[in-house]
Amino acid sequence: MVSFDVIAEAGETRRGQLQINDRTLETPHLFPVVNFYGGGNEPALFGGGIHRTVKEFMVNHPPTTGGTDYSDLFGGVMTSISSLTDYGIREKKLEEYLDNEIREWGKFSDYDGMIFADSGGYKILKQGGELEGEDFTKDITQDKALDMQLDLGPDIVVNLDHPIHPDDEFEERIEKMEKTAVNARQLAKRRDEVDGACYLTVHGYYEAMLERSFDAIENELDKPIPEVFDGIALGSLVPRKDNVEVLIEAVSDCRLEMQQRGYNDLPLHVFGISGNAMPLLVAVGADTFDSASYLHQAINGKYCVNLFETVPVEEADFHACDCRICNDGLHRDRMRNRLDDLYQKDILGSVAAHNLAIQQRELRRFRQLIAEADEDQIAAYLEEAVKDQKGFRKFAYKLINERIKPYFDDDGETSYA
Amino acid sequence: MNESSHTSTTMERQAMHKTPKVNEVNEFIEIASDFEDPLEVIREALSNSYDAEATWVEIEIKQDDEGRNTLIIEDDGHGMDEQDLESFFDLGNSNKHDAIGYKGHGTKIYYKSDEIRVESVKDGNHVESVMEQPWETLNNHELPTYSVDTEETDETSGTRIEVHGFRAGQGFDPEQLTYNKIEHYIKWKTIGGSTAWHFDDDFHEFDIEVTLSPQIDNTRKPIETTNKLEFPDENLHPDGEFVAERMCKHFPPRELTVTLDDGRELTIEVVGMVGGKEARNELPTYGKHSAQFGIWLAKDHIKVERYNDAIGADNEFFHFFFVANCQSLELSANREKIRNKSGDVYQAITNELERFMTKVCQEEWYRDYIARRKLEDKKRSVQSQESSLQDRLVKTKEQGGLSPSNPAEVIAALERYSANGSPETVEIADFRMDEEVNAIVNTDDGYKNAALQAKLSDFFEDETPLTHIDRFICWKVGDRDALTKIERASYLGDPIRFDFSNNEVTYGEEDKKTIPVLELVDKM
Ligand SMILES: [Zn+2]
Repeated sequence: MVSFDVIAEAGETRRGQLQINDRTLETPHLFPVVNFYGGGNEPALFGGGIHRTVKEFMVNHPPTTGGTDYSDLFGGVMTSISSLTDYGIREKKLEEYLDNEIREWGKFSDYDGMIFADSGGYKILKQGGELEGEDFTKDITQDKALDMQLDLGPDIVVNLDHPIHPDDEFEERIEKMEKTAVNARQLAKRRDEVDGACYLTVHGYYEAMLERSFDAIENELDKPIPEVFDGIALGSLVPRKDNVEVLIEAVSDCRLEMQQRGYNDLPLHVFGISGNAMPLLVAVGADTFDSASYLHQAINGKYCVNLFETVPVEEADFHACDCRICNDGLHRDRMRNRLDDLYQKDILGSVAAHNLAIQQRELRRFRQLIAEADEDQIAAYLEEAVKDQKGFRKFAYKLINERIKPYFDDDGETSYA
Repeated sequence: MNESSHTSTTMERQAMHKTPKVNEVNEFIEIASDFEDPLEVIREALSNSYDAEATWVEIEIKQDDEGRNTLIIEDDGHGMDEQDLESFFDLGNSNKHDAIGYKGHGTKIYYKSDEIRVESVKDGNHVESVMEQPWETLNNHELPTYSVDTEETDETSGTRIEVHGFRAGQGFDPEQLTYNKIEHYIKWKTIGGSTAWHFDDDFHEFDIEVTLSPQIDNTRKPIETTNKLEFPDENLHPDGEFVAERMCKHFPPRELTVTLDDGRELTIEVVGMVGGKEARNELPTYGKHSAQFGIWLAKDHIKVERYNDAIGADNEFFHFFFVANCQSLELSANREKIRNKSGDVYQAITNELERFMTKVCQEEWYRDYIARRKLEDKKRSVQSQESSLQDRLVKTKEQGGLSPSNPAEVIAALERYSANGSPETVEIADFRMDEEVNAIVNTDDGYKNAALQAKLSDFFEDETPLTHIDRFICWKVGDRDALTKIERASYLGDPIRFDFSNNEVTYGEEDKKTIPVLELVDKM
């Protein structure tokens, strides 16, 4: 059973509840990317390093968390079948991983969040349509991808897509869109095997392109999209993630396209984007995101001060942060490297949890504001969020003016104070 | 500082306290000379009258036939008593608080004169005061004195100041001082150009009148204005094809508040307009307009310096006229510059202003206006294309068809020549406009390096070496006289011959080479 209910709207911003079987997720929401299989064994939560520490936070492993439950940071997580082979495993190991669904592994049995199983289209396409391990390569087709996704025991699956690239020639792009559409049809055929939500990937940077992407899929399907799919996932934005104007246009146009085609009730997921662009994309109608940036930042020793700025963890002022990680002496000591026998994963794992907490906190604030459906407050929130970010500022103000509420009344009269 | 360093040096020290001396005469001379621009007299006069809560001020500047200047400043302010006169004449002794005049230095400008005469009525008392030869006395290293006569009166309050034989800076050169210039100055640099009325409900309005004697400027009527700077009328969506120049929008007054790290709060009062050239020209500007537009920082609602960085690089400053007032700005003595630029106050003000201006630039009307301008520019260029095309058509018709004026058109002529059955094959194989030998042609004898020119004579004007040229292709030979002149003189140091009957050029002394010339004009 899948449902998505919009419970409040302000401008194009919306707050919703995504219900999949007995799990509920408040949107807008960020799915942190988690690699469940780090190349090791189950007792070590499949491999070491910071990935393991993150999973220990996720399942509340007291020696790591200090006893506080941080699992709410992981209310939904994103994982990809392509990450199964991130550590160059042997085929036997892969089969072992796929033998049990994630929640059937003892360590993850208490994990109660949603698992979004990505097909890993981007990475697989880059590897020539193959998944590579130490002693094997597997051609990945839509059917094989879905088999593997289902083996993980997911709440959400998505079709294997062929992401486009800004430099693609027109013909190349069409070809990719058509291949993606064929995969969507194939997933649609097996819809009944999925005990959860099926998302459909679409691609494009602006309306005409998205129109083409939707058309290609509709041409392949013999049923209307909302009868087969429970959500739309917008892909191919990662190569343009630093151009917020492009991101806003893409997400906004995708919503417009969904509206015009009558899919407005479907949730819109944005692949691979988080952090600074998130508030602006929520403002134009994005419902969920996924990103590994919290982790990558931590691996590079970067501590998030807010959505926009990071500082080297050694320079961070933990007392200026109101998150639970920074309010806990144990994690402060770890992040400061003040304890004996600390591994990098202990230091950076706490940093990653903090980084994620910052992003989740912003979305939580945003959710509260949308619930009040107060456009003034939403505009003020966006303004406050970007006020010191010159690059973002102008897009934010443009968006506020056009989509939420103009700063200067344009009634032809100027009322002086 | 530690204990030991404190005690060890006190042993034989003899305390000596000296007060730095001030040479009062020099001080007066310095301050009076600080005011270089004679217009600053007007600023001082307006500020003083405004501070005296006058409802009108009249300034008269006269010049007699000998070139001596007299200033008369009269207002209906609350007047001066004996004590006020002291601060009028004294140095650094202003009793003005929270006023625009700076430390009472302003009135010292009047010392550069032959006589200062002040008459004032305050609270039923009439004072009259005269200072004779202030400038001469100061330059004789003496402090000038002034007389004071007081008597009771039933006149209403007000002040009249006469300054005779005034000289300021380069003097009141009649050539330099005009009504237009003064009006501009009043509106841009004095209380006369205040934007305070946008923010203040109890705004104190006063009338300003400036009269120049006809010797100084007789081109127009005296200036009559107020202490309000007003924007041109709004014209949000004018009709017509080319209207961007007329478009104009007011951005209503906003109070922006910034909290500094130490908890202090700053208020910035911003008001402004955006508009096209025609709209902006309605502002009281004179002289170089580009120096007036943009984003002004102001104190006492009087503009001080521009901070056009607030608009950002993708917007052009001249569309904007905004005044951002903040009382936390500190000014230099002559009000020309902001003194506290290095501090966090200035930083906070400019940051907030940048944020505000981003909002203006992202406002829908503004973006429409910019889009409209762009569109109209394009339309204009289409129109000018059209007229230039018409000119070309007329010319072409006059010439009766193709008449190449550049190498590309020569190629077209060559194509036509080949198509009409030329006796030999000459096809362009490669063409590069900007190269000296600009073409490679495919001929019956294989590839040849060719120089293509509308006129052969043009080629020789440029003194291009002939070393790598196998063929000349031209529309016309051109100026035969010019070629003959070259023939007679030699070309790049070597003999050259133009043989027009055989269509060839021979060049060189020992390694003589012959270059065929293909002239197209008569072969078509
Ligand atoms: Zn924190």
